[in-house]
Amino acid sequence: MSQAIIRANGVTKSFGKGKKTVTAVEDFNLLVNAGEVVTLVGPSGCGKSTVLNMVAGFLPASSGQILLEGVPVTGVEPRCGMIFQAYALFPWMTVRENVEFGPRVNRLPRVERLKRARRYIEMVGLTGFEHAYPNQLSGGMRQRVALCRALANQPEVLLCDEPFAALDAMTRQVMQEELLRIVDQSGQTVLFITHSIDEALILSHRIVVMSARPGRVKKVIENNLPRPRHVDVQLGDDFLRMKRGIWKLVEEEVVDSMSYGN
Amino acid sequence: MDEQPLDLWTVAVIGAAAVVVFLAAWEIVVRIGLIDAFFLPAPSTIVQRAYQMAAEGERILLHDVWKSATRVLIGFLLSALVGVPLGLLMGMSKYVRAALNPIVSIIRPLPALSWIPLSMLWLGIGEKQKFAIVFMGCFASVLVYTVAATLRVDVILQRAARNLGASRLQVIRHVTLPGALPNILSGLKVVLAIAWTCVISAEMVGANSGLGFRIWTGKEWSDTGQVLVGMISISLTVLILDILFRGVEWLLLPWQREETRA
Repeated sequence: MSQAIIRANGVTKSFGKGKKTVTAVEDFNLLVNAGEVVTLVGPSGCGKSTVLNMVAGFLPASSGQILLEGVPVTGVEPRCGMIFQAYALFPWMTVRENVEFGPRVNRLPRVERLKRARRYIEMVGLTGFEHAYPNQLSGGMRQRVALCRALANQPEVLLCDEPFAALDAMTRQVMQEELLRIVDQSGQTVLFITHSIDEALILSHRIVVMSARPGRVKKVIENNLPRPRHVDVQLGDDFLRMKRGIWKLVEEEVVDSMSYGN
Repeated sequence: MDEQPLDLWTVAVIGAAAVVVFLAAWEIVVRIGLIDAFFLPAPSTIVQRAYQMAAEGERILLHDVWKSATRVLIGFLLSALVGVPLGLLMGMSKYVRAALNPIVSIIRPLPALSWIPLSMLWLGIGEKQKFAIVFMGCFASVLVYTVAATLRVDVILQRAARNLGASRLQVIRHVTLPGALPNILSGLKVVLAIAWTCVISAEMVGANSGLGFRIWTGKEWSDTGQVLVGMISISLTVLILDILFRGVEWLLLPWQREETRA
């Protein structure tokens, strides 16, 4: 039943030339199955974003291969919907125009577009704000629009680059539960980057802990905590035990990366 | 941090009061002979002179304003018509930028005034020469502002659009153009003021109508009243054009309406 959506085989990415070459990601292997939520966790600078940008096709791998449904990624991939930390909404478009953007550039008929926009706007709870501009919305609502815009394009995978990192703690909590609800409802495959262990534990089926630079897979952890993961789950013994375990793994890397710096 | 900003009404009242005080002081120093009325006529004299020039006998004032304003607008629009597309091209292609930058850097430092001899030789002192002077005075600035505006469009927005399936052409149309528009418009607003200095200089050197010509002949005939009427007419016309320009911005940038009000 489980079908591989993303497969990374021995992916390496280096930047720069000659002596100044920096290897951001080395021999990185990853498998994300259909309907799975996988989070990449690691200290800053461990190459998490680089991995995501390679999957999205923004960056070419130096060596190795990334397959999306068995087909190698060679250019910018519209089958991946990306959610950026900085929202990346088009300021000159209303909420609905932002959401409609993907279907519009993909030449979906107007009626179909409107129907789809309405459906996803309702799904993320933005009904009534269709004609607002992004600068009239709060951070949480902007990220809802970004999520909505990505979903409306019906991507194979949702790629999330620390999308909630700029939100305040309470909004973040709400958005995490919201994302979990939508993902569980639609069976959306998600690859999610975060440096928050809590966030990884709340959202994912599997957690990939990355090592400090160069980024490799340090450990893959199955996350079988019951869903939905409300606050009572987040305060339960299982959650805390897993959190402690992951923190130990990450801590070594953080210490490591700090001694690298400077 | 400043306290609460003043509301529009209060600002208007304070401003108007200051103008009245200023004019009264001016009137008084001239009437009691502290300043020779020949060098600086009193406001009441200027108003009288303006009335003569506008309504009685000569009826030249509005004609002059009209002449100067059309010269400014036509020269300005021509420079925008050529400069904006070329600037966009330069902003979007590093090759075009590399090719045109040297030429722009040679033309840009030249004051519009320095073009007067050549332009008179080529075009005489008719309307075409005035348009040419304004064009030469504005063109390089339009170009530079447009290039800067294009380069300042957030890369992440272009990425987001590509990710949603937009082709390179669609990115230009839906992201680069609207993204650069606000800064292009504020650049054009600055250039519009430059266009006025160009036209006034050109009219002083060789013309038989327009505000620059009127100011210059006022000086020749020792009619300081006429000089000042001409100068104030420039101020008022520029002010009105500026308000019109804001209207254009309001129409073209609906997503910034909230911000400008704040």
